[in-house]
Amino acid sequence: MSRRQTLTVVSLSLALFLTLPAAGQTPEELRDDVLALTGPGTEGRAVGTPGAAAARRYLISELEAAGARPLPGQDGLGIPFRFISGVEDRGSSLRAGGHKRFGSDQVKAFAFSETGEVRGELYFVGYGIRVPENAGVTYDSYAGHDVRDKVVVVLRYFPDDVEDETRSVLNRHADFRSKASAARDQGAAGMVVITGPGSEGAGELAPDAFDISVPGSQGILAVSIDGAAGGRLFAGTGVSLAEVQRSLDAGEVDAGSFPLPGFATLAVDLERTPASGANVVGILPAADGSLDPPYVAVGAHYDHLGMGGGGSLNPHGPPAVHPGADDNASGTAAVLALARTVADSPLARPVLVGFWSGEESGLLGSRAFIRNDIRPDRLAAYINLDMVGRLEENRLIVQAMGSSSVWPGIVERANVPGGFDLALSDDPYLPTDSSAFNSESVPTLNLFTGTHTDYHRPSDTADKLNYEGLARIARFTGLVARRVAESDPVPEFVQVERAPETATSRVSLRAYTGTIPEYATEIEGLLLGGVMAGGPAETAGLRKGDVIVEFAGTPVLNIYDYMNALEAARIGEPLTVVFLRDGERHEVTLVPTARP
Amino acid sequence: MFQSLRRVSGRLVFVLPIALGGGLVSPVFAGQGAEDESRFLSRIRRLTVEGKRAGEGYFSPDGKEMVFQSEREPGNPFFQIYLLSMETGDVRRVSPGHGKTTCAFISARNGDVLFASTHLDPRSLELQREEIEFRESGQERRYEWDYDSHMDVFVERRSDGELVRLTDARGYDAEGSWSPDGEWIVFTSMRGMFEDELSERETRLAEIDPSYFGEIWTMRADGSEQRRLTHVPGYDGGPFYFPDGSRIIWRRFSEGGLVADIWSMNPDGSDQRRLTDFGAMSWAPYVHPSLQYVLFASNKLGFSNFEVYMVDVAGEKEPVRITTTDGFDGLPVPTPDGTGLAWTSTRHGGEGGQIYLADWDHEAALAALRLAPARNQPTETPQ
Repeated sequence: MSRRQTLTVVSLSLALFLTLPAAGQTPEELRDDVLALTGPGTEGRAVGTPGAAAARRYLISELEAAGARPLPGQDGLGIPFRFISGVEDRGSSLRAGGHKRFGSDQVKAFAFSETGEVRGELYFVGYGIRVPENAGVTYDSYAGHDVRDKVVVVLRYFPDDVEDETRSVLNRHADFRSKASAARDQGAAGMVVITGPGSEGAGELAPDAFDISVPGSQGILAVSIDGAAGGRLFAGTGVSLAEVQRSLDAGEVDAGSFPLPGFATLAVDLERTPASGANVVGILPAADGSLDPPYVAVGAHYDHLGMGGGGSLNPHGPPAVHPGADDNASGTAAVLALARTVADSPLARPVLVGFWSGEESGLLGSRAFIRNDIRPDRLAAYINLDMVGRLEENRLIVQAMGSSSVWPGIVERANVPGGFDLALSDDPYLPTDSSAFNSESVPTLNLFTGTHTDYHRPSDTADKLNYEGLARIARFTGLVARRVAESDPVPEFVQVERAPETATSRVSLRAYTGTIPEYATEIEGLLLGGVMAGGPAETAGLRKGDVIVEFAGTPVLNIYDYMNALEAARIGEPLTVVFLRDGERHEVTLVPTARP
Repeated sequence: MFQSLRRVSGRLVFVLPIALGGGLVSPVFAGQGAEDESRFLSRIRRLTVEGKRAGEGYFSPDGKEMVFQSEREPGNPFFQIYLLSMETGDVRRVSPGHGKTTCAFISARNGDVLFASTHLDPRSLELQREEIEFRESGQERRYEWDYDSHMDVFVERRSDGELVRLTDARGYDAEGSWSPDGEWIVFTSMRGMFEDELSERETRLAEIDPSYFGEIWTMRADGSEQRRLTHVPGYDGGPFYFPDGSRIIWRRFSEGGLVADIWSMNPDGSDQRRLTDFGAMSWAPYVHPSLQYVLFASNKLGFSNFEVYMVDVAGEKEPVRITTTDGFDGLPVPTPDGTGLAWTSTRHGGEGGQIYLADWDHEAALAALRLAPARNQPTETPQ
């Protein structure tokens, strides 16, 4: 055998994925689907809009063409769900003691407030923060004060001049909902929030912050009032709000809780606007023709941000179509491709294909589906695809590996022909639909090709997708689904312990760094998937691929450490970021700005 | 210093970097520029996922199978041997499931799978339990790999699935691989520790470092004609036949065990030639199917920093670095068609090594070898 010949005589081991059965859809077919989902008439596919309905019609007709049947008990492939699309404040008011009634120009109800009217004595409780006992910081604005049936008055934010570690803990318990919950749990009848004279935006009303995913009330009447009204509440106490805030900011918790003169009547009139959206769900029969559960479930959300709105990272631009080609026409097209492939070569179990709406508004569709439309034990497992159109450097992120002990073995076997440089993580608590299934004890897997600077912007367009990669990911998903279908018994669910503090709200984060974290969590540190153009991180010299290992003196091992470290950041105050680039440690100074 | 480090396996005597530097982080985007591994490696993919660690993946001659070792059996903290279909991804355990195993290889003649195992040791289950308890205690072991004297070479016959024992000498017999025609096996044996007359110094060494007695042996496929090829103090191990069967490649440690270099010899043990003089721990050599160069691992850049290198098959030039990603990279094995490279790496940042596969640019490798500077010392033959 000559030296040359040895290179050619032996059969190729590397192009094997081409020889697999059910090779699936071509990149061109996937592009056609993405173009249909982002094309004219779809207008960003926002939940409950005609654009989403147009995309839905396309998905239903494609699934029907593949031979998908309705879920038993459903009339068709479309399964509607209801949600609250918004809240209107129809006139809230506060009457206090001898003062005049403050009307809707000075009083604004929180979207999470109860509707109704309460009366009670007014009681000031400082920043209105109660830190749970195990949080490492002792802070209780209510300690030693009885506020039962009273209307509490609290300051917005949290004490400013405390050390960073304390700041970061206080910050986590300082959002409006947390304060409302604390007041409710102390038996208060209502909560009134003032942006103190010493705070950023002194005297302003709280901004609109309707959370479509948690549209219900927090179980207490809650409003913000403007500075003028706030000042009046302190008339006759002998102290000014500014003085009180100064001592609170200096760390004197006790200085800030005392009764205010007078008796208050707080009235809130909120109307919650009902709306509806729809998921698309079809069943593809098993190889033996069976339609009986358990199903292997595969899904993707098909909705996006419409013309922008709250979820857009381009909030100051004029309304523009957010096509969401990667997020998540890519996953939708891949699941559609898988459905067509399964229709041609069925698996050992029937496959449930789900296209969810309202994901961008907080997993509305998938949550409604798993709660109302199917028993979770009818699902052998759920595989989710969300943002899988930007495969770079052959790197596929596979998340929620910890949700079943079968995943490492299945992913290993699927990736031999799949051929990806895998980035694996166990955490199933993800900001995508798989979380809704994990909450109902269904083993989940989420595929993801990483975030990018077009994320949630009008520039997330179809021409930027890697369709060859997308076709490979669809095939890989099919191989995973095939092995789930052949698992007997069905994969068992593993409850992964939730990393601490991930559940708390981040809405009160005020400092902005312009970093785009990557979600490959096996890496120690925080890998940057990118930096926002012109943002503090880019200005500091950070770039895609850097791994942040220390932020403002806090070691960063993962994204949670990073989020917590971020809370200690203050606008305009330089901090040190230690990061690895090409394996070498570097330090830069970063100056956070206000969120643009 | 070396004594306190962890040895992980026989053919691989490597020092796992994570045992030393908790701070090692693997940036996904390695440095750009001329030295970047992307000049040789593309479309990198991860082959093994399940279990704590995996390594030593060797292809069948048609490239359709890979045999590897992995710690993934519940209740067994040691390696077992698995056969992976490169076409479907199906994985099957070949070894008995209990005891320690290592270093498997697939025969070109009949697909028989050769590996070393301690499963006949009556204490093997007890040793598994002891190891698990030891790990749970949080202590650090001096040697994770202890060159178990119960280690012997076995073959799983494909024709009937029978497990056949090929060696029964007292002392570690392992690190075996087939000749390309499937008629011969080259392996490492430490039986000299028990069979030879030892000096006072060697008696002391036998207690602390059995690997000192490692020598290269050959035998027929049925275990007959066992014959010793090397006679130099220090650990000789990790032998493989050249893809055309013309020679044997292996690594030879210095007596002190800190430095190792790559050597080749005729299948009868004659004409022993040194290919590297790299002043580092260079081991796990494997000859590319083109017969033009040898891939190996070395800690040239730092005691715990192993990377994959290659050197021309005559050893006339300095080695060329292949991998540039942080973490351990070693045990390189080209695909039989020469267009791919499999190796063991901790680049994912996980605890143990896993097997990776990439497309291999053979032409770029040849070009880089042409440009490599001449080795500062000529090839030499000992004794």
